[in-house]
Amino acid sequence: MRKPDIFKVPIGPQHPALKEPESFSVALAGEKIMGVDIRLGYNHRGIEKACEERTYIQDIYLIERICGICSHTHATCFVQAVEEIAGLEVPKRALYLRTLIGELERVHSHLLWLGVAGHEIGFDTLLMYTWRDREIVMDILAALTGNRVNYGMNTLGGVRRDITPEQAREVLKAIDKLEEQTKYYIELALGEATLAARLSGVGMLSREDCVKLGAVGPTARASGVDRDVRRDDPYAAYAEISFNVITDNHNDVFGRTVVRLKELMESYGIVRQLLKNLPDGPIAIKAPRKIPAGEAVSRYEAPRGEDVHYVKANGTEKPERVKVRAPTLANIQAVKKMLENRYLADMPIVIAAIDPCFSCTDRMINVRDAESKNNRLMEWETLRRQGIEHYRRLGIDFSKVKIRGHS
Amino acid sequence: MGLTKKIVTWARIKSPWIIHFNTGACNACDIEIIAALTPRYDLERFGVLLKGTPRHADILVCSGPVTRQIEDRLIRIYEQMAEPKFVIAVGSCACSGGVFSGCYNVKGGINSTIPVSAYIPGCPASPKAIIDGAVKLLASLKG
Amino acid sequence: MEEDVKQSLIKQFNLPEETIRIPRPRRIFLEISREKFKEVFDFSVKELKFAILLTITGLDEQERFGVIYHLARETGAILNIKTSIPRDNPTLKTITPDFSNADIYERELMDLFGIKVEGLPPGNRYPLSDHWPNDQYPLRKDWKQEGVTFEQPREKQDVSEKSGGDQNA
Repeated sequence: MRKPDIFKVPIGPQHPALKEPESFSVALAGEKIMGVDIRLGYNHRGIEKACEERTYIQDIYLIERICGICSHTHATCFVQAVEEIAGLEVPKRALYLRTLIGELERVHSHLLWLGVAGHEIGFDTLLMYTWRDREIVMDILAALTGNRVNYGMNTLGGVRRDITPEQAREVLKAIDKLEEQTKYYIELALGEATLAARLSGVGMLSREDCVKLGAVGPTARASGVDRDVRRDDPYAAYAEISFNVITDNHNDVFGRTVVRLKELMESYGIVRQLLKNLPDGPIAIKAPRKIPAGEAVSRYEAPRGEDVHYVKANGTEKPERVKVRAPTLANIQAVKKMLENRYLADMPIVIAAIDPCFSCTDRMINVRDAESKNNRLMEWETLRRQGIEHYRRLGIDFSKVKIRGHS
Repeated sequence: MGLTKKIVTWARIKSPWIIHFNTGACNACDIEIIAALTPRYDLERFGVLLKGTPRHADILVCSGPVTRQIEDRLIRIYEQMAEPKFVIAVGSCACSGGVFSGCYNVKGGINSTIPVSAYIPGCPASPKAIIDGAVKLLASLKG
Repeated sequence: MEEDVKQSLIKQFNLPEETIRIPRPRRIFLEISREKFKEVFDFSVKELKFAILLTITGLDEQERFGVIYHLARETGAILNIKTSIPRDNPTLKTITPDFSNADIYERELMDLFGIKVEGLPPGNRYPLSDHWPNDQYPLRKDWKQEGVTFEQPREKQDVSEKSGGDQNA
């Protein structure tokens, strides 16, 4: 195929001086994607450097905000590393409470994902219903921690808030309700033909490619990669909890959906165990302000996959170095492979299916067309709508799909 | 503002179309903005509609601090909107840079780059606060 | 298990005991000279099966830059191999032939520390944007924000005059 001439046709008001930060550059032949170039760093803020300039306690609040969806993930991963360097023995009750918030975070995150996935494929009813269910867990998190998001639950040496028996009962009631709804969503995923048709065969990633490209979390597990930090490198209370690691062999977006749904069921079981066996005792031990020289690597199974933090201490109250490898960074490299030979219409859901920890919907996409030989800059929203329209013409129409409500 | 402009503004803003833009935030505020549109909070009952493109929008709802790489895009989006137009900064980061204030890649809050009409603090701003702020802005335009 | 790994490395490369630390289960830290790095790395990946690359961490250690390769095994243990390179000539060879996902972690070293990674295929910089001047490496300890002039996107006078709203520089 002859290499297409490339010239830019900007859309909107003409401002040649303005540079658009395109995150995705796609080469098309007809409707098919021949190649994808991904430019990352759009939400790079400079957090690692800022960590060196703040105290450990201040850093907990900064690191919590690396990502608002899995904020407890980052905060916990960080304090675990610092606690290890300082040789702190965190009380068991604190570990259980950390784990409880972590699993509730997984529940909110997976339900959020389900809604977002629905939105990307034009199934907005699913968004409304899953996000309504998600409010159940948001209320619980707000009651337990004081905030719907960014819980501020961790401190060095433990957690900052305890749970009362009444709150524990409320959590269990909420879990019962959510479990009932999740069972229905699983039925929907496995039984609703439109959903299966839309998601099957999309975003394929073989087990081999998964491993080679370093994918993590539900994205990897949906391709049969049996890895989960909670089981392989237990942290917090996981060594004392029994649960299943969910894998699937569809290797596609459908598989990633099924894995997340079944993980929700596992989370409900973990929460019940945590509350049933919650140890008595203090919720924190006192931590020194200055952390002795040392280093540690901490891992955490975020809803999206493995989060890795490296911390180096130098005997002062500020860290020498903090390195964060968030799960999305591990997964984004697999996206190129997933989009090869797929339709442009698949791009929104394939990217959404790795559950990216960025607001990709605000990024511009540069589409280079081999036939018309021009570049066009597309907004995500336009891409999403075109994708939905593409599949509607193929008979996949979610406006016809009904969702059963709940009491 | 003068009487004619007020009437024109009120007529257009009765059912404002909003566009949401995240300048590089942690996503917490974005999720709460979308939650504000879901049935439990239901911002749509105030006639507010979420639109995907700046050219049809009356209100730009921004979350996140302004990062170096997003500055251009934010300006362009603002310029694509027709007058009268308003900007709401949602969350502490959008208001002032928040917890990221001082980070090397962060310029500051939204007002470091474009004019802001309303500030909704919080980390994140809760859906209730977002609705409260949006309603206050709409009321001030009518008044 | 960690002890076995330690003994294998000591035996294979005749390393002094103190170069390998086991602070707790599933964590091994090893410091190795630049000259010995490749063979130790290859042995760890191929023989000892630490075949999962988690990430690569750069460290500014004054006269030298430290580089830690964090490698994991299926069963959960992490081997952290640290080497160092001189500050006045900070070059590394890419490990992308063995780990294609190393690409992004190596680019991070380039952007944030100014370490030159040789052998990387052409690609985008990460994580800094094009606004950043070429000789600024934020994670170096002696780097100061105040010294940087960013490429200006465009004139901003138009924007503030038009809307007359709240404006704060």
